[in-house]
Amino acid sequence: MRRDHGCRRADHEFSRRGFLATGAAVGVAGLASPAVSKQLRKGQKRVLQIYLQGGVSQLESWDPKPGTRYGGPFRAIPTSVPGMHICELLPHTAQRMHLLSIVRGINLKTNSHHDGRLFMEMGRRSGSFPYVGSIAAKHLTPANAPLPGYLHITTRGLTDNTNAFLDARHAQLKLAGPKVPDNLIRPDALTVQAARRSGELLKRLNRRFSGRGGQKAFTDSYNASFEMAEKLMARRDLFEGKPDPKDLQRYGSHPFGRNCLLARTLLENGATVVKVTHHGYDTHAENFNFHLEQLGEFDNTFCMLLDDLHQSGLLENTLVMVMSEFGRTPKINVRYGRDHWGTAWSIAVGGHGLVPGAIVGATNKEGTEVSEREVDGGHLFHTYLQALGLDSTANHDLGGRTVPIGDPTRSPIKELLA
Amino acid sequence: MPVFLRTHDTRMLATACMLPFLIVTQAIAAAPESTFPSQIDALIEARLKDFSTHASPICTDAEFLRRVTLDLTASIPTAAKTRAFLKDTAPSQEKRSRVVTELLASPQHATRMQYLLDWLLMERRSSENVASAQWQKYLRASAVANKPWDELTREILADDGGNAKTRARARFYLDREFDLTVVTRDVSRIFLGVDLECAQCHDHPAVTAYKQQHYHGIKAFLDRSFLFTDSKSKQKSLGEKAEGDVTFTSAFDETKGKTAPRILELPELVDPKDTLKQYITKPAKNVRSVPRYSRRRQLGEAMTVAENQDFRLNIANRLWAVMMGRGLVEPLDLRHAANPPSHPELLSLLGDALHQHKYDMRWFLGQLAHTRAYQRSSVTRPDSATVANRHYAVGLLKPLGPEQYAWATMEATGFLEKVRIDARASLAAAAKKAAAKKGSKKKAPKAKTAATPPSPPTLADIEAAVRKTVAPHVKTFVTQFAAQGGQKTTFSATAPQALFLTNGALLREWLKPAGANLLARVSKLDDSQAVAEELYIRILNRLPTESEQKEVAIYMELPGKRVDVLGELAWALLLSAEFRFNH
Repeated sequence: MRRDHGCRRADHEFSRRGFLATGAAVGVAGLASPAVSKQLRKGQKRVLQIYLQGGVSQLESWDPKPGTRYGGPFRAIPTSVPGMHICELLPHTAQRMHLLSIVRGINLKTNSHHDGRLFMEMGRRSGSFPYVGSIAAKHLTPANAPLPGYLHITTRGLTDNTNAFLDARHAQLKLAGPKVPDNLIRPDALTVQAARRSGELLKRLNRRFSGRGGQKAFTDSYNASFEMAEKLMARRDLFEGKPDPKDLQRYGSHPFGRNCLLARTLLENGATVVKVTHHGYDTHAENFNFHLEQLGEFDNTFCMLLDDLHQSGLLENTLVMVMSEFGRTPKINVRYGRDHWGTAWSIAVGGHGLVPGAIVGATNKEGTEVSEREVDGGHLFHTYLQALGLDSTANHDLGGRTVPIGDPTRSPIKELLA
Repeated sequence: MPVFLRTHDTRMLATACMLPFLIVTQAIAAAPESTFPSQIDALIEARLKDFSTHASPICTDAEFLRRVTLDLTASIPTAAKTRAFLKDTAPSQEKRSRVVTELLASPQHATRMQYLLDWLLMERRSSENVASAQWQKYLRASAVANKPWDELTREILADDGGNAKTRARARFYLDREFDLTVVTRDVSRIFLGVDLECAQCHDHPAVTAYKQQHYHGIKAFLDRSFLFTDSKSKQKSLGEKAEGDVTFTSAFDETKGKTAPRILELPELVDPKDTLKQYITKPAKNVRSVPRYSRRRQLGEAMTVAENQDFRLNIANRLWAVMMGRGLVEPLDLRHAANPPSHPELLSLLGDALHQHKYDMRWFLGQLAHTRAYQRSSVTRPDSATVANRHYAVGLLKPLGPEQYAWATMEATGFLEKVRIDARASLAAAAKKAAAKKGSKKKAPKAKTAATPPSPPTLADIEAAVRKTVAPHVKTFVTQFAAQGGQKTTFSATAPQALFLTNGALLREWLKPAGANLLARVSKLDDSQAVAEELYIRILNRLPTESEQKEVAIYMELPGKRVDVLGELAWALLLSAEFRFNH
């Protein structure tokens, strides 16, 4: 099952299912651009991270407890995996659980949005460490990649130091949805010729300056920022084109639908890590109504994206995570809300390097604590990286100083690794 | 300090206090002040056996002028200043010394310090409970007065925000929402140079020198205080209780501890007798309680006593990093036994000197500017990079801070020159009007004698007017280029920044010919040599080399409207790494 095993021969990387999909299913639902097949052959590993911002309720999603004291009004439904049940708010996802696995025993020991989010991203409870996306981008982005490695589609702007001590080219680049990023377009007054030749002059000046010495990391980072800007400028078409009406109908014309369509486009066109944030799960009041609405949007859209990745074969190479900063309290408050809850909650993962259709860990009958296989952000972090074939127990080499990539006191969830 | 002394064995404390003090006094007294820079250089150069084989030569006058102007005044020199400095035939060290004195006396130096202090203390936090204008005004006044660092520290750490006149000082606490964890961590990081966050729950797992009791000792100063919101005005300030002790349990082995306020390894501060539960304003609903004895008010005092070496070492290291591009301790807030300074004796010397000079930061920065270490060229000898960087044998690159970057860009494009001219004119007009009004009041309406001649606007007035005009642009650069977080010596450039520089409207606007700005000036020059000189002097503050002149000449031959071609040249120089860094 394990795709890596240190064997990186091209014929192993090129998946049979991917071949069949591109070869045989041309024309299915707006797939199979020439770019897709080209990327497939390269077998470049990718990451799709769906972040349900605010803290999705595990009880209304991956770990329902119907009929118990805190269970809430929704039922549990069977899924495509025999014996696995999830909340009825996710009917489409339920039909695709054979592609995903659930981790049900997460305990972060924090109920803070900020700390929970960082723990889930950095695999460390505190301090300044690179996000999992930044590390994946660093190790998986080919030198000649057509796009910056780590793209985050979000409509809100928190300034995150995602690369920490890694080079700035591995930092997350934020996109405010399927619209042209700020300053992407060359000013009208500047001709193509002028832009090209002055750009060349700039490169020449910078090469000369780098040649004088000075901290290489500084000049490299500065030069790299222009290279990334150029890559984005060269692919402004990715942000400008109107989505196919059929796609829009399938994904939904709401922002999350459009953002997931953009995510598919970016993954098909050589992005390494794409994160999409779905905002609005912090349901301190009216938890059930809000989850009905939010998860309705998520369920359909996410499944369309998952289908497309699956059918094009990209899923074989793509690690998928559906995560949050924490879950929500079993106890229902007076406003029919659920509050912050890092103590016993779940996420869903799938794709490259992971066993599909599994459930790891469990919570007790009423969901008030983890009863089996307790893990935290540190374990998940190791798991993500090892699923991608990266050694999470190795060190970042910071020139004279080493920092363990994953928290050395944590280990991957072995039973989840394919 | 009376409260501090009252709580300890006075005799013992006095001895402990005097001993290092005496030694320091003698050391400094034995060597005249003028040699402080050479003492620094001696320690730098003795630290590496073959220092001279790695050392870059002293930088050129042009490199020095740009470097020191950026470091001391947050902008690059004007073209006139650059030309005059290069032409000046006085001995190099003499004119360098003169320029340092001039810069330190300029109103722009206060601007630089204002920016630095803001960054250092607030770490790019947004303004929540204290208006930004109020805070900036306080910083400005402090920078203009060259307020000693210890005094500033005491003011900031004592204020509760209850008094409108001094409320700005409390921003350090109030805009951290007085979150006890955050405030405790930031007090120890920013004023002591130690990051105790991980020592909150247990002795630091990786840093054996950081103990749980250290964290809780600092916390004990603050633990009785709380954020109080006035029910009517909704204004936030700090209240404080007159009781409550800090206890803690190790998350590792469950051992319990208890501590009164204390700074790291210094003795605990015992509350004065009969102050428990004693209030000036008693706690009640919607009442901000004020105790008779405030533990929080002791923090600044305890922090700045002579025996607290950490306080002086921290600020010495931070100011050194500002000038030299790298702290003697890196990261700047992680000083401990296993991460010692690269030059321990030097850091002690710097800390003691600052202490001796009553934490006069202006004096200190001026002294550093006189060292050979500061004045070395940034051109690295082949194969020496790593060792030279670590030993200050080469001038390190310092990325321009967002504010420096804004001012330097405005200066280089000539936009600032226009702002200055306008400011001067409008100030002169205003002065004339005021004088005429004054004159007309005093004299009989028909008297023919002229009104008292208006006094010309002072440099500080002009600087203030200019600062006001360009504030939105500086803010734009801060938004684009500031990273969240505190003082660091690392650098990261992002794609959105590159896009801002490449396609953003602001820079393109400044690069259009107008008035007497850069493009208007170079457009009028016929000769490519003159163009090259003007571009290089104004943007990079130096003369072009012969090959650079040739490069400009060749570029000018390219097809296109002349002004466009010149704009491209200026744009490339403006975006060059040589401009992006202070080198």
